[in-house]
Amino acid sequence: MFELLRNSRELLGMNARNLDYIRPLNKRSGREFADNKLRAKRLLRKNGLPVPGLIARIRTHAELEDFDWSSLPGSFALKPNRGFGGEGILIVYGRKRGRNDAWVKASGAVVTVEDLRTHIRNILDGSFSLTNTPDIAFFEERLKLLKLFKPYAYKGIPDIRVIVFNRVPVMAMLRLPTRESDGKANLQQGAIGTGIDLATGTTTSAVVGKSHLIDYVPGTRLALSGIRIPYWNEILRIAVESQSVSGLGFLGADIAIDRDRGPVLLELNARPGLSIQIANLTGLKGRLDRVKGLKVKTTERGILLGKNLFGGEIEEEIEELSGKRVIGSVEKVRLFGKDGKEITVEAKIDTGADSTSVDTELARKLGFRDAIALFENRMGDRDVLNDLSKREREVLFSGIPDLADTAQIKSSHGTSYRPMFRIDLSIDQVIIPAKVSAIDRTGLEYPVIIGRKSLRKFLVDVSK
Amino acid sequence: MDYSPITEFIVGQNVPAQTMALLLLLPVVATLASFFRQVVGIKAFGIYAPSIVTFALLAFDPNGLKYGIAIFGSVILIGMVTRYVLRRFRLLYLPRVAITLSVISFSMLGILVLGGATHRTGLASVSIFPLLIMITITEKFVAVQLEKGTRAAVILAAETLAISLVGYALISWPAFVRFILAHPWTVLLTIPLNVVLGKWTGLRLTEYFRFLTVLRQK
Repeated sequence: MFELLRNSRELLGMNARNLDYIRPLNKRSGREFADNKLRAKRLLRKNGLPVPGLIARIRTHAELEDFDWSSLPGSFALKPNRGFGGEGILIVYGRKRGRNDAWVKASGAVVTVEDLRTHIRNILDGSFSLTNTPDIAFFEERLKLLKLFKPYAYKGIPDIRVIVFNRVPVMAMLRLPTRESDGKANLQQGAIGTGIDLATGTTTSAVVGKSHLIDYVPGTRLALSGIRIPYWNEILRIAVESQSVSGLGFLGADIAIDRDRGPVLLELNARPGLSIQIANLTGLKGRLDRVKGLKVKTTERGILLGKNLFGGEIEEEIEELSGKRVIGSVEKVRLFGKDGKEITVEAKIDTGADSTSVDTELARKLGFRDAIALFENRMGDRDVLNDLSKREREVLFSGIPDLADTAQIKSSHGTSYRPMFRIDLSIDQVIIPAKVSAIDRTGLEYPVIIGRKSLRKFLVDVSK
Repeated sequence: MDYSPITEFIVGQNVPAQTMALLLLLPVVATLASFFRQVVGIKAFGIYAPSIVTFALLAFDPNGLKYGIAIFGSVILIGMVTRYVLRRFRLLYLPRVAITLSVISFSMLGILVLGGATHRTGLASVSIFPLLIMITITEKFVAVQLEKGTRAAVILAAETLAISLVGYALISWPAFVRFILAHPWTVLLTIPLNVVLGKWTGLRLTEYFRFLTVLRQK
């Protein structure tokens, strides 16, 4: 119960969306921009953003009468200029065999010129427009399905919704058309929505319809999580830049991936829906609050912020499954020496090394100055000690305070020994007791190397 | 009945007390509808439909509930059937609504005749205006049906009826009406109340259910 209340503060509801985000951030001109698809298309293209090609538009009943139906290609999308929520969109996939004036829909239903004419008349009369005012109809090229998405999508083209606020991508969702949604990638109409890890562009959880969680594509054993979306950085870039062009402060950009052209911006939404929170199993308000007030100067910076702030869900999931934490190849490590001495350094995570070693100077600072001095003294200037047996070594170095062991270092000119001490390491907030050797690392990039013996509780992600 | 001086004055100017009560109750019912939208999350067909249906129910009294609900239900039902029949003709929007209205009018006439024949005189004596109000709800219904489908339209119609029933319960409660007439200024409180509702950014009650899966996350 307590959790419910705490989580509810992270959620963005309809009231808060309208009052706190759409009203102040999406001014009339911006909303007009998003609602007028043809104009948006033109301006976005002018600003170098990829949009689907325009085949033809019909503005009046007179134009409808004169329209040359044979000029239409085999597949196209017919849309109302000011439609919303995916209403009034008619998509055909090919001509009906042997006929020049009939096409086939995703469902297999036949669409004749007469059907198109009625549909366009309804569009012109404003049946699908936001305010029921007269509208324009246009034909758009139909995008080609990416091979990767083929097994996941029923007929239509999946698209990626990215919510952008203050130039930062805050949440994203992949929408997969299903049989129920009649090939449309619209959640209200029964499409599948999957959450996306913003850092990697990998899908996480999935919902179908209003809020039903699912793991697999219906009727198959195809997992909906773990789909790696191609062109991820490009998709985020298009989303963020479309926000700058539109003048909207808070928007949902719909981006599809064409087999030949790559990511293409389908549509901008000034009133993005709230179901994206269910697909991601996370509240939007918490994320928006974290981005609010930041001064984000460039697209790159915004993308980086979004990735860092809201990515990493996949990583957390791996951590949960394996019980191990994921760290990168370089990590900040805190060393706890004698008498409460603490030093934080950047350490190289080296799975090729057996044990952990620290720079001699660092070891001195950690409280082993006397021990090292004594050790060096006993060593004298002998750096070759391969004629010593284990017993002889123990005798030679006995009585040195804090010395835990000695490490044998083989080099081209023989064997030398280094002192080892017991210290505690803190890697990614986990405390690891370790026996580390002190070695002169001056001139090397990292003063500390973390070896395998200290890495048992971690997985290393070299790309991190 | 103890009227407030304001009420005494208004009634003194030959304004019927009934009219005055209705005008004062309208803001209350409208506020109820806005409360249901913003806090509970019940949408209905905007604010006009539930308010006007509330008063239509009142006008059907003494059998307000029985006849009101029956007529509302039959209007919606006939609207659905008509759409289903008209679908194949591919008509434009306004002509289609006009036909739907005609069919509903004829059906109402039929229902009234049927009522008279079975000696349910209460039905036939209903005044025409509440009946017309109910019929015009059809336009809202057909508009939503076209945009969002029959399912969504039926849900919204049910929500409209639900809000109207709550409103009806309130304004047909004699003690409440008496209170309003005794203290007409209290109706002004609906304004600050609506200001608060207009600034309310909390989750709607229905959203707690919609987002239950998210809320349950750790």
